[in-house]
Amino acid sequence: MALFTGQRGTEDTAPDPSSGAPGTDGYRRLNRRCMISIYINYGIWYAILLAICAFLTTFSQNLSDPYYEIARLALLGVPAAVLVYVVVAPPVFYTRYRYRITDDRVEVRRGVLVIRHTLVPIERVHQVEITRGPIKNLLGLADVAITTAGGVATINYLELEEAERVAELLNKLIGEMLRERLQAPASSVTGSADE
Amino acid sequence: MTGRDRETPARSSAAREQSTDDRAAADHPGTASRTGEMEIWGKRVRCHPGIIVEKTLPFAPILFILIITLVGRPAAAAALAVLFIAVVFINYRIWSRTTIQFDDTGVVVERDTVFKRKKTIPYSKVASVNINRGITNRLLGTSSLLININSGSGATVPEAVLTFEQDTAESIRSRILHRLYTHSEDQDEGDEPVEMPALFSPLDVILHGLFSVSTYQTVSGLFFLVYSVFQFYVSAGTDGGSAGAVVSLLIFAALLVGPIISQIFYYYNYRVYRRGDTIYLQHGLIRSYRTSFDVSRINAVRVKSTLAARLMHRSCIEAEVVGLASGKGQSLRPVLCLLKDDATQQTLLRELVPEFVYDRKPEKQPEGAARVLLIEAGAASLALALVMIYPSIYLYRRAMTATGIAGLTMPYMLPVITVSLILAIFYAVYVLYRITDLDLGENLFSFVNGAVDRETVTMNYDRVQMVVTAKGPIARLFNVARSNIYLLSSIGGSSITSGYFHERDLNAIGEIVMERIASGDYDYRKNSL
Repeated sequence: MALFTGQRGTEDTAPDPSSGAPGTDGYRRLNRRCMISIYINYGIWYAILLAICAFLTTFSQNLSDPYYEIARLALLGVPAAVLVYVVVAPPVFYTRYRYRITDDRVEVRRGVLVIRHTLVPIERVHQVEITRGPIKNLLGLADVAITTAGGVATINYLELEEAERVAELLNKLIGEMLRERLQAPASSVTGSADE
Repeated sequence: MTGRDRETPARSSAAREQSTDDRAAADHPGTASRTGEMEIWGKRVRCHPGIIVEKTLPFAPILFILIITLVGRPAAAAALAVLFIAVVFINYRIWSRTTIQFDDTGVVVERDTVFKRKKTIPYSKVASVNINRGITNRLLGTSSLLININSGSGATVPEAVLTFEQDTAESIRSRILHRLYTHSEDQDEGDEPVEMPALFSPLDVILHGLFSVSTYQTVSGLFFLVYSVFQFYVSAGTDGGSAGAVVSLLIFAALLVGPIISQIFYYYNYRVYRRGDTIYLQHGLIRSYRTSFDVSRINAVRVKSTLAARLMHRSCIEAEVVGLASGKGQSLRPVLCLLKDDATQQTLLRELVPEFVYDRKPEKQPEGAARVLLIEAGAASLALALVMIYPSIYLYRRAMTATGIAGLTMPYMLPVITVSLILAIFYAVYVLYRITDLDLGENLFSFVNGAVDRETVTMNYDRVQMVVTAKGPIARLFNVARSNIYLLSSIGGSSITSGYFHERDLNAIGEIVMERIASGDYDYRKNSL
């Protein structure tokens, strides 16, 4: 199983990312800048949450029912709990995030509370797309969306150059696979399938 | 460059070379319909003008109601009437400037209106060609021909909806299907008697309509029915106060009565059979629906039974097939067997889709799963209890002053309901732990899920697009995980979730998929999308 060999190292990625650090099975990590992007993203959503809570608190000040007292406590408790998550989640996300591209598959391991392991066979990839929002654009980061017939897998917060290399590699692997199929005589494919 | 791109220039050139006869056929759509499909083939034609009525009718009731309500304001009513005429004119213009050409390689639909469009649908990409006949079609003697392609995006909408006279639509469908499949549709779906693997009586259809609705939906619907009866009882003799009862009754009708009647109408005259590698389905009382698809298009098979159906020892079969959209909002997942006794269902499963039958040796969930499920049930119960505390106290205080049966029952109603729900949650968790399983066969694998409404989903490794294994914080404590298997489904992409199992067992699914690709067991030509 050949591994993806990056062309240039980054702050947190070794020059030869295919081998990765010893014991990493070729999994690659993200750049630390991903945390800034996540913090900015969370910050925007947290500001919206605070605005909603402030509005609800102001609106419910004239309500005297004890039920509203509970609701008012919740309006204080929810932002506090979310704040803890907003502060703690990005480093955990960064620490846990791993991705690996070999000649036959893409794997991503990610998650803060729920840890997910995504496996996409290269054979199933229909489309590869690089996407960048305004925040990621500022930080020079991008996502690579890998579309299959059944859903989309994403490798997030890659450096732009890295994202382009990943997309290029995936397109190359898909192209090679299609070329092999076009060149292979029909009988040989049938033979192997029937074996 | 896609097949579609490659073919477009050739088609444009061919279109330019259309003979005078072709243009005449396009100018006189009725001619083509009268003389049958042979006259249409290879020529540019228009749909039956009935499509104008079909497209305009959905606007008519809304505009009619608006005009009635604006009767005191003639200017507004006149504006709406003008709007309606504009809709008719636009639909007329779209009809008059849209041509269709069926030839040996595909269908070209070309619209020469303000928003120009040329759509080429090669037969190699067609997943199904279906006939749909609604009330308008019956009145006008037409049929809608629905052409679907194999695409995850837009899987719920047909690629082309074309209206022709009934005979013409039938013969076009037959000719396209003849190109898609190896045998003639005429022989299979003509008036000749066909040997059915199972017969479905009107009673079967009614039972399917009544008991295939999910238990949660049934319980919710019945709850609103009981509540409306209760409200009617409480408000009897008082002025007003029955508005809540009426609303509840309407919700009951929308949740339960509507879906049941709709299912009965939809599946009336149900027929299913298989010829070669093609499965044929026909059903419908008011709107008749006919479809056929190749077995190789099936991505997964679900054997389903609701709680009520299980008590009657009945179950039904559904298939995940992409490209069967009817565009009319009906269920997109073809039903291969209505609720039938389990023995008949198994026979049908073996006869219709033997490719999805294998010897199961299921693995039960490990002990860790039981603990995770118990903790989840405990958390859900706690949340439910906390949410219900205040409403219970509120209702208790309010109902203390009531007299009669209401005074006796209402104060304790919510606490009793809460305790009942908590007991139900724990019982459901016990059942879920007992019945959930996983089976990894050589070519197929399957999950059994559902404490209340149960389903066995059998999937082909070669159709798996993506595997996502997830471990939550509690699951990690007990070393278990769940998997989501992503497949191309009737509604585009969808995922099927497993129960809690050891991660290594779930990872085996992805590894088998990869091994099959590497070893050549996976034949891309049989599984191309």
